[in-house]
Amino acid sequence: MKLAPCLLLLALARLEAHHSFAAEFDVNKPVKLHGTVTEMDWINPHSWIHLDVKDADGKVTSWMIEGGSPNALLRLGFNKSALPKGSEVVVAGFRAKDGSNRAVGQSVSFADGRKLFLGGSAPGSSGGEK
Amino acid sequence: MHARAFALLIAAAMARAQPGYPPPRDAAGKPDLSGIWQVMNTADWNLEGHAASAGNLPQLGAIGAIPPGESVVEGGTIPYLAEAAARRKQNFANRWTADPEIKCYLPGVPRATYLPYPFQIVQSQKTILFSYEYAGAARIVNMDSNKQAPIDSWMGWSNGHWEGDTLVIDVTGLNDKTWFDRAGNFHSAALRVTERYPPRGAGMLNYEATIDDPQTFSRPWKIRMILYRHEEENARLLEFKCVEFVEELLYGHLRKKTGGKP
Amino acid sequence: MNVWRALIAAIVLSAAAWPQPAALPRTPHGDPNLEGIWTSASVVPLERPAELNGQEFYTPAEAAENAKRVLGISSWERLGAQAREHYNMSQYGLDLSQVKVASTLRTSLIVGPEGRVPPFTAEARQRLAERAARNRGHQFDGPENRPLQEQCLMYSTEGPPMLPSAYNSNLQIVQDARHVAIVQEMIHSTRVIPTDNSPHLAPEIRQWAGDSRGRWEGDTLVVDTTNFTDRTAFRGSTEHLHLIERFTRVDADTILYEFTAEDPHTWTRPWTAQITLARIEGPIFEFACHEGNLGIANTLSGARAAEKAAAEAARKESK
Repeated sequence: MKLAPCLLLLALARLEAHHSFAAEFDVNKPVKLHGTVTEMDWINPHSWIHLDVKDADGKVTSWMIEGGSPNALLRLGFNKSALPKGSEVVVAGFRAKDGSNRAVGQSVSFADGRKLFLGGSAPGSSGGEK
Repeated sequence: MHARAFALLIAAAMARAQPGYPPPRDAAGKPDLSGIWQVMNTADWNLEGHAASAGNLPQLGAIGAIPPGESVVEGGTIPYLAEAAARRKQNFANRWTADPEIKCYLPGVPRATYLPYPFQIVQSQKTILFSYEYAGAARIVNMDSNKQAPIDSWMGWSNGHWEGDTLVIDVTGLNDKTWFDRAGNFHSAALRVTERYPPRGAGMLNYEATIDDPQTFSRPWKIRMILYRHEEENARLLEFKCVEFVEELLYGHLRKKTGGKP
Repeated sequence: MNVWRALIAAIVLSAAAWPQPAALPRTPHGDPNLEGIWTSASVVPLERPAELNGQEFYTPAEAAENAKRVLGISSWERLGAQAREHYNMSQYGLDLSQVKVASTLRTSLIVGPEGRVPPFTAEARQRLAERAARNRGHQFDGPENRPLQEQCLMYSTEGPPMLPSAYNSNLQIVQDARHVAIVQEMIHSTRVIPTDNSPHLAPEIRQWAGDSRGRWEGDTLVVDTTNFTDRTAFRGSTEHLHLIERFTRVDADTILYEFTAEDPHTWTRPWTAQITLARIEGPIFEFACHEGNLGIANTLSGARAAEKAAAEAARKESK
């Protein structure tokens, strides 16, 4: 028997993030950041990647990028050296509503194009690229 | 020096089990440590010897004062490296704001053991669970694995084994965010703790923890104290979810000025 | 691949007779052994989809097809309206298709012909409407206005009763002679349940997770929980919530977990759900929610910034 996908979505328990990201980040403030990792906080409920971002004038700003709980990655064998200091990463996301240098990392990859951790692509795509 | 002599005497007394004490054993023949345990000292106020002193809130009078206690540190004092000793002084000066226990943060090891609240040991063969009443803190002790922690955490990573009748737990992977007590004694993320829980007598365990952190201390050092079992009928841990008691402290400044509670 | 594992497990589960009690593992004290690390991750929702009303079980083929469909939905689609300002879940291994899922032939976790939570009582409808009205427009005033989950007080699936969560849907069970302890990964809560059927706490002591007392009935651990606070509010419940949970080890890799929830001040009748727990390798990692809770501070700060911006815009308008 077949179920229409939209009906099934209604039936599934709503996916609850730890908290509402729409309340924390502003969809009208998209950011694209190219920076160097200074630290990764492998913490819950959300991990945080600390980046130094250099602008055209050479001025360096520190950013914090919000990600997911690291526990599943740890079970897969990742550890605290999986994202070494100095790694160059590119982040596409949205800035914090309060204007601080924090963003949710909707898509994070290394500067050479490799996807971070388990890959995966931005919303609208059908699946995960590894 | 008097303090040192006292400390040595106490340490020696604590190390002595009642001669020939046969501890109750579990089905595997190991001493059965299951039960609810608690210290009877003021180590959480200050591991080192301390006289009674005023607290931070005059309106609380005697309730808010700091009670006295003798040092639980072998040798009396903690052997800080010079730079760390300065930081410890700074911690002490800032303790009424900087102590992570104020914020209901997880206490780490060994502080979890000597908080003024009970904890429960649930002892199985491959796993021993330590469940602490404070903040619902808990740690799983792996008895048949020597895997190491992939990251640091508040309660660390515990691998345990038996040495005769003594449970020995090696704790690694501790982050640097916990303190040892309310007096600002602290450590780095290089900390390794080795705990020993030898049975002492009926309803008592000796507890000994060796602190090894070459970034903070000039040598490893030990604390020693006695754990007492709760013997009340139906003794149980109660719930102490302290997060709600620190929300005003942590987030009050972000509150809307004319807010309404639900 | 997880979908095929789910299919095979579903067929095996339906075809196998329950093993004889003597074959099930026991602790050295002779109790049924529930120890291990388990996942409650599920492709089946708590409440039955309306079009499946009356159908309590899938056939194995239908269950496999349902699992394949659910696991094929990306987390972006599952997030729905929340997807826009969200991190990429599958990048962190947090998508349901990236973990072991416990299998069942049920069409919903809630058992019975309807498979849905019973209606609220009139008292409950009024209570919840009043609560919603009081909070309307105040959801971002202060930390106590935010959901319990966002405050890192309790997760919505933590319970008791325990429900599958979107990710990290894991728990570890450790037993001694007189206790069964359950450590849930999110948000690192621990219940040490005495199995001696000792009495509940006095009624004046209320706890967020209630007070759980257990006993063995044959091979099933039966846990009775009362003494909830009035703020726990499991799906709108009051401090009169009464839970009965049952844990039965059915084979080496499966525990059947069942709970019955009753609260005459909330639902017109008790209701029961059955959740499969499947063995996983683990381990469970620390989930220090409160310690890392930047989200609530950022959320409140964002609300204050939005208010300030709105006030300034209004001032400019009025000039």
